[in-house]
Amino acid sequence: MPDNDTQRFSAGLRVLAVYAISIASAFALILAVIALMGYDVVRAFLTLVTTSFRSAFGFQETIKKTIPLIFTTYAFTIPFMIKFFNIGGWGQMIAGGTFGAVIGLTLAPLGLPAIVMVPLVLMFGAAGGALFAWVAGYLKADHEINPIISTIMLNFVAFYLLNFVATAPPFKDPTAGHPITIPLPGSATLGFLAGIPVSIFFALGSIAFVYVLFKHTRLGYEITSVGQNMNAAQTYGINFRRTIMVTFLLGGALAGLGGALEIMNIHGKLIEGFAKTSGAQFGIFGILTSLVVAGNPAGVPVAAFLMSVLLVGADSLQRTMQIPVEMVFVSQAVIVLLIVIFRTRLLGRSA
Amino acid sequence: MEFITSLLSQVIIYTTVYTLASLGIVIAGRTGIFNVSGEGVMLASASAGFIVAFLSGSSLLGFLAGAAMGAILGFILIFIHETFKINQFILGISLVILGSGLSDLLYKLSMGVRLSAPIAPATTSVNIPFLENVPILSAIFDQDLVVYFMYAATIAAWWFFYRTKIGLETRAIGENPRAADVVGVNVIRRRYLATIIGSALIGVAGAYLPIVIIETYSPEISAGRGFMAIGIAIFASWKPQRAIIGGFLFATIEVISFQLQIASQAIPFQFFLMLPFISVLVIMVALKKYVEFPASVGKPYSRE
Repeated sequence: MPDNDTQRFSAGLRVLAVYAISIASAFALILAVIALMGYDVVRAFLTLVTTSFRSAFGFQETIKKTIPLIFTTYAFTIPFMIKFFNIGGWGQMIAGGTFGAVIGLTLAPLGLPAIVMVPLVLMFGAAGGALFAWVAGYLKADHEINPIISTIMLNFVAFYLLNFVATAPPFKDPTAGHPITIPLPGSATLGFLAGIPVSIFFALGSIAFVYVLFKHTRLGYEITSVGQNMNAAQTYGINFRRTIMVTFLLGGALAGLGGALEIMNIHGKLIEGFAKTSGAQFGIFGILTSLVVAGNPAGVPVAAFLMSVLLVGADSLQRTMQIPVEMVFVSQAVIVLLIVIFRTRLLGRSA
Repeated sequence: MEFITSLLSQVIIYTTVYTLASLGIVIAGRTGIFNVSGEGVMLASASAGFIVAFLSGSSLLGFLAGAAMGAILGFILIFIHETFKINQFILGISLVILGSGLSDLLYKLSMGVRLSAPIAPATTSVNIPFLENVPILSAIFDQDLVVYFMYAATIAAWWFFYRTKIGLETRAIGENPRAADVVGVNVIRRRYLATIIGSALIGVAGAYLPIVIIETYSPEISAGRGFMAIGIAIFASWKPQRAIIGGFLFATIEVISFQLQIASQAIPFQFFLMLPFISVLVIMVALKKYVEFPASVGKPYSRE
């Protein structure tokens, strides 16, 4: 084995060790707390990690969470590649769902076929997410405003926009007490294959898109090199401003697409809280998921799936053992902190 | 007159939240720590503060519990940052998520499910004789203890940073930690203190929401104010005396949007509710030329 390979092999082992140590210590911590609260630890652990795999339903639920999570994880990951924080994944997802619903409901009386409606709703969804992210990118690029603040402020704007669309005529469902719209026309919805939402194909498509973008295109290469060394990249003629805008637009468009897919495939209408799962926003879980893989786009699909396994386990813990679902949410934040710490400690690299 | 006085009184109450939270961010920022965890600290402290106030029947104990929760989260932030040199923003965001999960978890575990919302114990208001009877001024001087604490904390922070030698040294850390270190300032210890004290102030702001403003706890109670406080700290150029002005400005915007929402029929109320969030961005753009940052804020410091 040449030296290079040996080095790569031992580096790989160390990365594995980091994850093993972090996850083991986080689980030890969670289970200790669960034990202190007086619950059956063994049963809690088994519920947490095996619910997804014990029944077809469990697995379908896991995939249902994985799909939107992949989109919001990319929404954080892509701007994070040039060291900017897009905390706006949830607002961009909400904007995507809202824009998609508005176009779908507006065009409903025309009775257009699915071949026209589905792409239209998806395009509007992606545009809605991209628009919100564009504002944050613009405020950073031209006015030096920290995206952490701008994206959060825009989240609330998106939230009230959804609330407005879902509670005002003409789209409001007059019989509902909760902010919710009338159903989308059938031609603007997507179905299920063996209990798996068809939106999985769009998730797979976006995984392929992100992979090709970063492996095989000049744009992806520019983003990666700006992330590695901002000054050098500028010296070699990469337009930094454009790179900011592109990463935010891509991230926002993907979150928006994810939002449109949720309302088309899972809910069939726009409903307040559609971008939430297990007690928190997909956008928030997306940040955690992205930090788990150190903002490396290649790791996103697997990490999103494993995160969803934990979330499905958490839902089940709440149902069967009355352990609050927030317990797992808190634990995930702790796992992420531990992974970040161990990674810095053992591999000497931050983030 | 009565209406204006009662409106102003409401503004002062919200000013207390914004000012304490942004003051906490300013104090840590002066030593180079950019604490973006405010929203999580406020949520966790709101929950802890409300639980303690409700169970003990004492709002004062509730505020102290909020401060203690803030101090603990501040300690976690600075300990992990100084020990492992982990990016402050990653840490802050992780703590936001941790704090928001912790808030509902603590509440569910200690309060359980209740048929009616538990109501916070009353706070006693402190009146300044004479001033309490003057219209308008009474809005500022007929308030609960925490409002006076906010005035005092602002003045104390200004006095400390701009009128004492030790305050000047502390500001120097935020500008150039190496230079401060060379002249013998204990950079790491000051950063610990500033972050913990700052987070405790944010915690008081968090506890104030359920105990005084809403009078009960509800999930996501801080509703973005922890992040707006970062905006205030920035356009206040990290100066305590300007943080209170920024706090007052945002409190006014919030109270006015609330009033407009009731008064206006033509414009849907959701657009008024967006107003405070949009204002943060508009004001930050408008004031960007006048904003100064402590030079080292957000950057890790190590002696090697």
